[in-house]
Amino acid sequence: MDERMKHRTATIAAYLLFFAVIFALPFFLNSFWTNRVATYLVYSICAVGISLSWGYAGILSLGQGLFFGIGAYMLAMSLTLAVPENNPVPELMLLNMQPDAVRDLCCVTPGSFLWIPFRSVAFGMIAAIVVPCVLAAGLGYVMFKRRTTGVYVSIITLAFALIGQLLIINNQPLTGGFNGLANLAWLEIGGFEFDPYGPSIYYLVAGTLLAVVLVSRAMLSARIGQVLKAVREDEARARYLGYDVENYKLFIFCFSAGIAGLAGMLFTLTAEFASPSLMATSFSISMVIWAATGGRASLLGACIGALLVNFVGSVASESPAFQPVWPIVLGGLFVFVVLVMPNGIAGIVKDLIGRSGKARAVGQEVYP
Amino acid sequence: METFVIGLSIASILFMVALGLAIIYGTMKVINLAHGEMVMIGAYVTVLATKHLGFNLYLCLPLAFLVTAGFGLVIERTVVRRLYGRLLDTLLATWGIALILQQLIRIHFGLGLFGIHIDGLGSDLQNVPVPGELQQTLHFLGANIPVYRAFIFVVALLLGAVTWWLIYRTRFGSQLRAVSVARNTAAACGVNDKRVNMLAFAYGSGLAGIAGVLVSGFKTVSPDMGTPYVVDAFLVVVAGGVGHLAGTFLSAGILGEVQSFVAMWLNDVYGRTVLFAVVILILLFKPQGLFVSRSR
Repeated sequence: MDERMKHRTATIAAYLLFFAVIFALPFFLNSFWTNRVATYLVYSICAVGISLSWGYAGILSLGQGLFFGIGAYMLAMSLTLAVPENNPVPELMLLNMQPDAVRDLCCVTPGSFLWIPFRSVAFGMIAAIVVPCVLAAGLGYVMFKRRTTGVYVSIITLAFALIGQLLIINNQPLTGGFNGLANLAWLEIGGFEFDPYGPSIYYLVAGTLLAVVLVSRAMLSARIGQVLKAVREDEARARYLGYDVENYKLFIFCFSAGIAGLAGMLFTLTAEFASPSLMATSFSISMVIWAATGGRASLLGACIGALLVNFVGSVASESPAFQPVWPIVLGGLFVFVVLVMPNGIAGIVKDLIGRSGKARAVGQEVYP
Repeated sequence: METFVIGLSIASILFMVALGLAIIYGTMKVINLAHGEMVMIGAYVTVLATKHLGFNLYLCLPLAFLVTAGFGLVIERTVVRRLYGRLLDTLLATWGIALILQQLIRIHFGLGLFGIHIDGLGSDLQNVPVPGELQQTLHFLGANIPVYRAFIFVVALLLGAVTWWLIYRTRFGSQLRAVSVARNTAAACGVNDKRVNMLAFAYGSGLAGIAGVLVSGFKTVSPDMGTPYVVDAFLVVVAGGVGHLAGTFLSAGILGEVQSFVAMWLNDVYGRTVLFAVVILILLFKPQGLFVSRSR
């Protein structure tokens, strides 16, 4: 069995093991932890999106939180309208309307007509994926056609997310402002209700994660994955070889935004709220560090990184003694991961497997 | 007129923060996301020095410069130095440093865990007393101009002049410019580029520290006050064109005024939104920034 085959077998085994554990977990968890782990799996989906755009294509977006948040808001709007008391007009609008306004979604507050299509939950779910994609396409078109690269992309996406967050907080009559949308109905599909604390949501999230990972793997092993890696390694050379670098980058940027939106939508289901805090800069950058901890150029690594960091983080926040130190540990983790293990957990595991096979030290190659 | 002066003071703060960022970015192509925390630390130096040492605002300016320059030096030596050439990674590492610095202020440098509390630290909001002569308003051309805002502008102009002199008229400055244009060639000619990096990082951080002192005079001081400044300042640097002092100066002026006028006309949020839109437009039509340095 040559090196390549062995690596492939190990990878497949790792994926199988991971998903076997994930799918078996609810049998051992109480409802509280089922819900928590489901939320971590939502973050894993996010981390997969980041791993795709950053680890494979070298585009570091620090505005994933915006796409995540929009995804969350889109479904949250639908689920707000699904609460009986919020008919015909959500409570948050009644609090903010002019006294003589008509109590109808069309015109109760300025812009409230935008809510009308969200009466359909299906619309909310589709919008949660489509709207982030469209926004990313617009922003990405401007950036990539202008050949913006590297840190410029990072800072522009960061600023974009910041503005999005400010606009949402500022338009309280339309978005619920700082508090966001909290009083939500359960998702109901064909008469079946998804209980956020039950296994149904858990399996919905885990299944989505599996699907996202499978689609992403398939994409990476296809031509586009190879081209993206070429772009990451040397953009100019890929361009001279005749590849339309901008379009590839634009595609992966949108794809990753769509994944973030999808994750945001699932977040609404497990956490039962959507708020501007999801679009905070710190949250966007945290997502990147999940992926970095697990291994930026490994989809599975990114999943595990997100699970691990969040699990430790939430355990740490439970204990009052450790809670004030946690941000420092997290900050230290940023520095540590970048300095000491740039390819994350996956990189270390890969090295171990490589060493055990042949007495050949695998040089740690740092991806940008 | 008042709006213009307020815009001028916003621009001045932006300029000081952006100048530091531009020097650091120009020299070593590193984006320091902890740069905003230097503003925050500058502000806290003011809070602590006025509370415990009886300093006034003027004395805090050099003190904050020294303290933040010291922080900058340590950050460069311990973390940033190991990451040259890995731009995106420095973003993450410096963000980690920013998180740590914020939290250290919140928990009183760790003493809070043992029940020791220092007046002026912690997660509460702090205010700084401003000397009486700066609190007055000037009547000029029929408008009321707060003296403090004008003071900020003067300090920024002075710092700009000092920085110009430092970069274009001293030995260190010519080394700095040499390193930012062609690091290897400069190093081959005997320039100690590591030392240049270190000093540039410290000086840039120090500038942000001074901005922090000035900010503390008109805004409440809190551990997370710094973050918005990095983003704004970076936008200024990008819009002005990297490696061009005058570009940073003018783009800070333009963006500060735009933000101030839109903020007065609508509100703060739209002020920032328009600021961002303007930067995107600038990048669309002049990807190299408004003022391209001809040296590359």
